[in-house]
This record gives sequence, C-alpha cells and structure tokens, in this order.
Amino acid sequence: MTLLRTPTALLGFAILFALALVALLAPLLFPADPLSIAGPALLRPFQDASLPLGTDRLGRDVLAELVHGARTSLLVGLAAAATSIIIGSVVGTLAGFLGGILDEVLMRVTDAFQTVPGFLLALAFVSVVGPSLPVVVFAIALGAWTGPARVARAEVLSIRERDYVAGARAIGMHPLKIAFREVLPNALPPVLALSSVIVAAAVLTEAALSFLGLGDPNRITWGGMIAEGRTILRFAPYLSIIPGIALVLTVLGVYLAGEGVVEASAARKVRA
Amino acid sequence: MPPLSLNRRSFLAGTSFLLASTAMPTISFAQEAKQGGRLIVAADSEPRNLNPAIVASNGVFFIASKVIEPLAEASFEGRDGLAPRLATSWEGSDDGLSVTFKLREGVKWHDGLPFTSADVAFSALQVWKPLQNLGRTIFKDLESVETPDATTAILKFAKPTPFQLIRNALPVVSSVVPKHIYETGDIANNPANVQLIGTGPFKFAEYKPGEYYRLARNDDYWGENAPHLDEIIYRVLPDRGAAASALEAEEIQLAAFSMVPLADLDRISKVEGIEVISKGYEALTYQLVVEINHRRKELADVKVRQAIAHAIDRDFVVKTIFLGYAEAATGPVPKNDPQFYTADVPTYAFDVAKANALLDEAGYAKGADGTRFSLKLLPAPYFNETRQFGDYLRQALAAVGIKAELVNNDAAAHQKAVYTDHAFDLAIAPPVFRGDPAISTTILVQSGIPDGVPFSNQGGYKNAELDALIDKAASELDEAKRTALYKDFQKLVATDLPLINVAEWGFITVSRSSVKNVSNNPRWAVSNWADTWVEA
Repeated sequence: MTLLRTPTALLGFAILFALALVALLAPLLFPADPLSIAGPALLRPFQDASLPLGTDRLGRDVLAELVHGARTSLLVGLAAAATSIIIGSVVGTLAGFLGGILDEVLMRVTDAFQTVPGFLLALAFVSVVGPSLPVVVFAIALGAWTGPARVARAEVLSIRERDYVAGARAIGMHPLKIAFREVLPNALPPVLALSSVIVAAAVLTEAALSFLGLGDPNRITWGGMIAEGRTILRFAPYLSIIPGIALVLTVLGVYLAGEGVVEASAARKVRA
Repeated sequence: MPPLSLNRRSFLAGTSFLLASTAMPTISFAQEAKQGGRLIVAADSEPRNLNPAIVASNGVFFIASKVIEPLAEASFEGRDGLAPRLATSWEGSDDGLSVTFKLREGVKWHDGLPFTSADVAFSALQVWKPLQNLGRTIFKDLESVETPDATTAILKFAKPTPFQLIRNALPVVSSVVPKHIYETGDIANNPANVQLIGTGPFKFAEYKPGEYYRLARNDDYWGENAPHLDEIIYRVLPDRGAAASALEAEEIQLAAFSMVPLADLDRISKVEGIEVISKGYEALTYQLVVEINHRRKELADVKVRQAIAHAIDRDFVVKTIFLGYAEAATGPVPKNDPQFYTADVPTYAFDVAKANALLDEAGYAKGADGTRFSLKLLPAPYFNETRQFGDYLRQALAAVGIKAELVNNDAAAHQKAVYTDHAFDLAIAPPVFRGDPAISTTILVQSGIPDGVPFSNQGGYKNAELDALIDKAASELDEAKRTALYKDFQKLVATDLPLINVAEWGFITVSRSSVKNVSNNPRWAVSNWADTWVEA
C-alpha cells in the first residue's frame, strides 16, 4: 500500500489505530463510570497493579479516565472536522458556483470569521451557550470551516468552466443540483486533505476549552484532566503529564497520518 | 517588577531605624516590633468597588479594611469577642430600640478632617442601611441616628432589634466612610469607592490594574506606635498555583485565603522560613452546603433529602477534598461558633443502604439501568473545593441511583442560574457564617425572599414553623432566649433539611516566618494589620 510506504506515515497510522481501538474498547476495558472513585486519592503511578497509572485528587482511576478521555477527544476531533468540512464545502461551493454578489457576501463573511482567532471564537461561543459536547463541537467548527470554504471555492471556480458542467447546464439541470451533484464531489479531495489538520487542531482546541473549564463536566476529557492536575502540579505532576502525553501522541498521530495521505496522493499524481 | 523598586528611601529609613533600635538595650523577652518595612502579599481578585461600607465581602475587606475601619473588630480576648476601633464603647437599651456608641476622640480622616459622630450617622443612614449587602437586613428597622455631641452616636430603631445581633455584626457591617466626601453626588459612583479615604492605619496610595495595590503608612493614625509597616503591597496573582512559588522565591511574604492550594500545604510547610497557619479565620467560617430546589417534586420529599444526606460521606469530603483542613458539619451553625452552636441535632451518617431504603420508601424505585431519577447539579465555581465536591457528589448520588448531570458555569452565570432563574435541582454553595445566624444564615432557608438575592433561599422552600422561629428570634431581645431560639432553628433545619450542610472550613494563611503578629484575631486577613510587622 502506498499509504504506508513511509515510516512516518506508518507510525501515524499505528498511533491512530491504537487510539481508535482503545476508544472503541473503552466501555469493555473499563465498564465502570470512569468518574467513579476507585481507590485512595493521589496514588502515584506504578504502585498498585489494579490502578497502574495511579489515581487523581478524588481517587479516580487515571488509566480509566485516560481511556475514556480518548473517546471524547477523538469524537470531538472527528465531529468538529466533519462539521467544518460540511459547512466549508457548502459555503465554498455556493460562492464559487453561483458567483456574483452571493460570492462576495459569502467570502466577506468567511474573511470576517478568519480574522477572529478560532480559539477565541470557540471560547466566546461556549461561554455564552454553555458547555456540552455538541456545543463544543460546533464551537470548534465555527473557527475551522473557513479553510475548507476557501479551498472548495477555488476548486469549484476551476471546475465550473469544465465541459461536463456546461453540458449539465445545457440539458437544463437546476443550478443547485449541478453545484452539489456535479461540482462538489469533484472539488472534495483537496478539501478532505485539510481534514487531518482540522482534526489535530480540534483535539487541541477541545483540550484547551476543557482546560479553561469550558468542557462538558460530565465527560472525562484530557484537557480537563490536565486542568485538574495543574493546581497540584508541584505535588502530583503525573496528573498533568500523563494526559499531556496522550494529547501529544494523538495530535502527532493525526498529523503524521495526514502527511502520509498527502504524500501518497502526490506520488499517485506523479506516476499518473 | 515594579513593586520592589517603589520606595527605596523609606526602606533605607526603616533599616537605619532598626540599626538605632538594636543599639538600645532592651529587657523585654518578647520580640520588639520593628518599625518600617514593606509587606508584600498576594491578592487574587481586584474588586471593582472597594468600599467596604457598600460591599461587605471578604474580597473587598482584604484590601479595604486597612484603610477604612469599622466601629469594632473581632477579637480572641475582648469582651463579647470584640475589640474597639472607631467606637470605644457600645451599649444597647433594654427595649432594643437604641444602641449608643461612644466614639474615639482625636481621630482624623486621611485628608486631615476630623472624624465625628456625623460620619457615623451618615454612614449608617445613607450607606449601611440602603446600600450595603448585609446592612440592608440588619439595619432594616434603623430609623435615625442621634448625635448629641461629636463623640456620641445613638442608633434609633423603629422596632426592637436585638443588641446581640448588632454587636455580632459590628466587625462586618460598620465600616465608617467620611461624610464630607460622600455627601455630594451619587454614593455608588463616588471616586472614593476606588481611591479609598478612611481613618485606618494605612492610606490608599496607588492601584495599577492587573499589577498591584499599594497602601502607605498613615502617620496620623490614632493607634499608639501603629502601624509598624511603611507600606503594604497587594500583588495581583490571579493564578492560585503561582502564590506558592512566589512565596518560595520571596517575591511575596504572605498569601491568605488559601491562595496556596491545599495539596501544596504539606510540601510548603517543610520549606524553611515558611509557615502554614490555619488560625485567624474563626469569624468567617465558610460552609459547604448543598442547595436544594424544592420545586422538583422528588426533592420536595423529605425522605429524598434525607437519603441524599445519608449518601454523602462527610469524612471523605473532609479528608480527601479538604485534606483535613475542614470539619464535618452537623447543621447551619458551624462547630467553632462560641455562642450559638448545638450538637443536639439529627445527624446523617454515611450509609448507602439506608439512603437506598429511604429512596425506595419514597417511591422512587430504581429503573432498569439502575437510575431512579436524574438531576441537574450546579457547583459554585468560586473555589476548587466546591467544584471538586460537585464531582464527588455526582458519584455519591450515582451510588444510590440518582443520576446527576453537572453544569459548570462562570461566577456570573452561576449566580443567575441559581439565584435568579432557579435553573437547578441541586447546587453547591459556600455561604459564610458571620458570627450570628441572623446576619447571613437564616436567609438561606427563610421564605419570601425576592428572586435574585444571592446566597439566599431561592429553592422555593417554605416552612411556616421555621419562618415563625426566624421571625421570633429576629426580635427576641433577651440573649439567652435568642440563643435558645437559634438552637431550635438548627434542630429544625437539620430535621427538615431545606439544605444539606456538609462541611465547614476556615482558610489557610501561608506566610514567611519574618512576618510577625499574623492571625492574632478571628478576622485577621480582613482586619487592619496595624500591629503587623516584618523582621529585617
């Protein structure tokens, strides 16, 4: 497989595969509520075989939290990426295909969103609406859809002059139908290539929101774990370091795998 | 770092004074207080309105109490637990309709004008009664203030008001502000609410938002040989984790109000030159309380409330969340209160089986997924401990089949959700017991309080018997009888559980050993620090 030719891509996919596996199996590995109190508080890692990564301030199992946290992180990352790509490609396609004033309006709106840092946007949105998982996903997507929108528009602009589009027009297809049936599917691949970057950014944004106390408090998140550990960083650094490492590995995995995909498609193009 | 380069001259002056004083022979064994020097303390908030006569809260007092003084301050040794400040004596009439204060002579405001009874009359009638958060209730029947001469102020009440209550409230509600500054214009927007003018041992010198407050010695202070310090700097350190490192690096000398996280105390107490002090907060005990919305039909059932009380392991809360720096609570008055506390109330031992049985009895059987019903739980965001208790309570409730969904809000949104919108089922609050149940405790369970009043009964609880008891105690003039009524009050609250008292805690001060006379009164952090000094 061309995808796995480079060792870095291989590593990326290996990390992602392991993460996905852990996230999927979390309810089987740790069937109890990860927020339940499992042992004495602040047990250090590698002291007790039943609590291998120790416990936090309230005596909750850090390993169980970590595994369940992987679910939240990946879920938020993927959902936010999907949402922003959907919003972005719809906006981009409409702007690129219909042109004129609509193009101007949509692109200026995109500009407006792009000028505000995505994290601030998410922060403001969550603090107004209140933290819950769907809100967090939407808040992250709010700052991330502009990239896909621009790429989609650029692709659509080149595709809409192609013959088959002219053909579709000639047989009297509805413009919106042409846009979404004929143009968008062909404009998607470069947009999708952005997804790895968006997933990685979304995972980090979610962690940062949770760190600031704006995550969903009923779910374990890595950012929330780091934030909890922060107040006692001097006393129990492992509480922040362990989820921190998990976060780094996830973002690294997503990024490397994304690179692999881009390289593989580039190689395919060269051969073709 | 600007605070350290502020005042080199006065620092040198202080050192030369020390040289002079060490040259003189001293025979006393007690360490002689050193004159001069600067105390740098950590501040974690920057209140917008610093006027303690309007905002009687600890965040404001922490800074303002050095500048603006009350009539009397709390004291470990003094009669009735009070030490004189701007008043030298106070006496209540037998009919409960007047309280006479003799005021201190020769006191000057920081702008040089003399302090007189007119200032007390103005503060009481124009500020404490209409504007102050606590004064509104305590002085609600205050009608007029007579000032027969410059050093006598007589508070006249329309209805009998227990002298015991006024006395207990003095340290918190009686900050006196200058009439000549406040009599023109809108009191709430007076610039002196930030640039404070008082009679206290320190003058308000400078405020740099986000950086520091600077208070400078008042050379005309009425106290003899006081204050000792040349200045106090409040360094704004909003990050609680930073206070510990700043103390170790000697960037600050003192962090009050548990700014050093509890989990760090054990470690930092072993650092040489640093002391961990749990004294000095006896008159401002915080209570960890589960507020209950009685509009929920499940929670309106006393059996369900008792079940929740039985589901909470108070021992775990004290040992794990407060790391031992707290006490398990039995009722609405904390154990450390010398006047009102009674242990003779129903208690709720940690007993999951009993909690389950009570819930079954109440008719809320466990569903197929083990859940009886679901609740919204809103922990107050003010303290780490209130948030952690929220996490714990969620689990404790899960153990008895109640599914609690946590809702985290920032301070403003939490207040609105709980106290205005009533959008909660359970909430976790840290109310303060201020030495008398009538000051800020009965309001937590009394009915008929308008929406939006923070730290009050907004859970829709109504108990005619309890209301009658509170009303009776509010106008009972005989101290013994009044105290007895408040013991009944505790019993009734612990029986009917309009709210659940879980634990009570005082804060921890961490200070460099060079800072002397720390925590020598029950409200030390929010007292005037006139006798505090720093070893060279």
